[in-house]
Amino acid sequence: MSRIAIEDVKILDSSDLGRGNYRLILGPFSRSRSIMAGQFVHLQVPGGSVFFRRAFSVYDVNPEEKTLEILFKVFGRGTALLAKCRRGDTVNLMGPLGHGFDPPGKKESVILAAGGIGMPPLYFLAKQMIQKKHESDKIHFFYGGNCRADLIEVARIKKLGVKLHLSTDDGSFGFKGFVTSAIKEYLENNKGNYRLYACGPTGMLKAIDHLAQERTIPGQLSLEAPMPCGIGVCLGCVLPLTSGGYTRVCREGPVYDIGEVLL
Amino acid sequence: MMPDLTVEIAGVKFNNPILTASGTCGYGEELAELFDLSQLGGIVTKSITVRPREGHPPPRTAETASGMLNAIGLANVGVDKFIEEKLKFLEKFDTRVIVNVAGAKVQEYVEISARLADCPRADMIELNFSCPNVEAGMAIAGDPIAAEKAVREVKRVFPRPVIAKLSPNVTDIVTIARACEGGGADALSLINTLVGMAVDIETFRPSLTNNTGGLSGPAVKPVALAMVYKVYKAVKVPLIGLGGISNYKDVVEFLLCGATAVQIGTALFIEPDAPIKIVKDLRNYLTKNKLGSARELVGQLRSY
Repeated sequence: MSRIAIEDVKILDSSDLGRGNYRLILGPFSRSRSIMAGQFVHLQVPGGSVFFRRAFSVYDVNPEEKTLEILFKVFGRGTALLAKCRRGDTVNLMGPLGHGFDPPGKKESVILAAGGIGMPPLYFLAKQMIQKKHESDKIHFFYGGNCRADLIEVARIKKLGVKLHLSTDDGSFGFKGFVTSAIKEYLENNKGNYRLYACGPTGMLKAIDHLAQERTIPGQLSLEAPMPCGIGVCLGCVLPLTSGGYTRVCREGPVYDIGEVLL
Repeated sequence: MMPDLTVEIAGVKFNNPILTASGTCGYGEELAELFDLSQLGGIVTKSITVRPREGHPPPRTAETASGMLNAIGLANVGVDKFIEEKLKFLEKFDTRVIVNVAGAKVQEYVEISARLADCPRADMIELNFSCPNVEAGMAIAGDPIAAEKAVREVKRVFPRPVIAKLSPNVTDIVTIARACEGGGADALSLINTLVGMAVDIETFRPSLTNNTGGLSGPAVKPVALAMVYKVYKAVKVPLIGLGGISNYKDVVEFLLCGATAVQIGTALFIEPDAPIKIVKDLRNYLTKNKLGSARELVGQLRSY
């Protein structure tokens, strides 16, 4: 049996979370159990008016129900169409694709840095860590948005029992400033060894990459690029490697070590 | 009785007429994770050049209406690594391997073809004279004298059949087709991508770093069909049709217009297992229409 499946799945639930953010529950999907945090699925948006599939990080899975969840923010035509999908609609789903995060050692203190709609794979990582008995108070979940309404699914993250550090650029909630600044401040007051995982807008990831290299904090970033094929054959989603040459984000990524990709 | 899907091109027998197109299936490794490559009639590899190429900086692709633009820039592992690693991988499958060859000048096509001459698993080679994103390729693609010469010189060093892949970005594709046939091409494949462009009106930037790219997908199918139709009437060598094929109906259209086999390209990006579905659907179509073989469709268009 192939690791990757291409299947029609039903939209079992669609929720409008405000500010253009949506959550979809999809299933049944035969591979939901095997999905690792950081991996993505490639969705064919119904209606035929966008040509490529669209890639989404997996937010959560329910192996018993064979379902998976994604979160997305309406950004272009594909996401706008997907936001209009209703419960019962069918979408074609390919996955799981790409390489997920390398999980930390059980005793390690971990910083998860989530920027805006980059949050889903980090929630999933935290959940999988806790399922593997990682102490939840060693997981520091930094989550930043432009404003309070950008911080979605906060109650659900809290439920994991992780140390949650919220921030907003406009100061409407939590720490005022970028998520990177919140992490910097935390590290000033809490010396120690950490492993860092991040996902968010490119500007934020650039800052995180810089911060981690400066302080020699090991870790990984989940990157994104427009992906025509998602399986490594089109060579469209490449990014430059620090060591030279290009890497296929869909295939060698989307998760990379700190400093590996030229951001 | 099960209809016969086998086809023959220049003495090479294919299990079925469905091939995957160059640049859309890598060297087969990724697709092999999704299905058994032996179910394909053949696989046409990513273009191989003398030395490895990294390709153009991103963005390399853009979505368009019913299609896409690409300017990958012939990113590939180079002929040495291709023979050592990639061809070895493909040897495991019961499918035909067609190696797509690209160069900056005729001598490079000859050099690569000579290397592949010693690799019996390279069943055929396909000469990419038509990559719109690399200038040298276009120079040969649009010039009948240069195209004829390139085919002739490659034929001198490669002992198995040679396919010339034709560009639609020419004044008269028939002239080029005849020239390639004259140079000794055993078959022609057509069409490569059409030169196209997309622009971001916020940044005033082209959507691709190469500024222009190659248009492919369903948007180009009518152009491809018309060119297959015209070329079929003008040459004797078998044709392999491609351009926007995404289902069995498209395949039947190309066969009727004169293609002996087809290549599936951009459709793989949306449905990587499309060729498998197409083989099955084509078989059903033949059965339903009481046709004994796919070959019976070739060139059977009842044109006005």
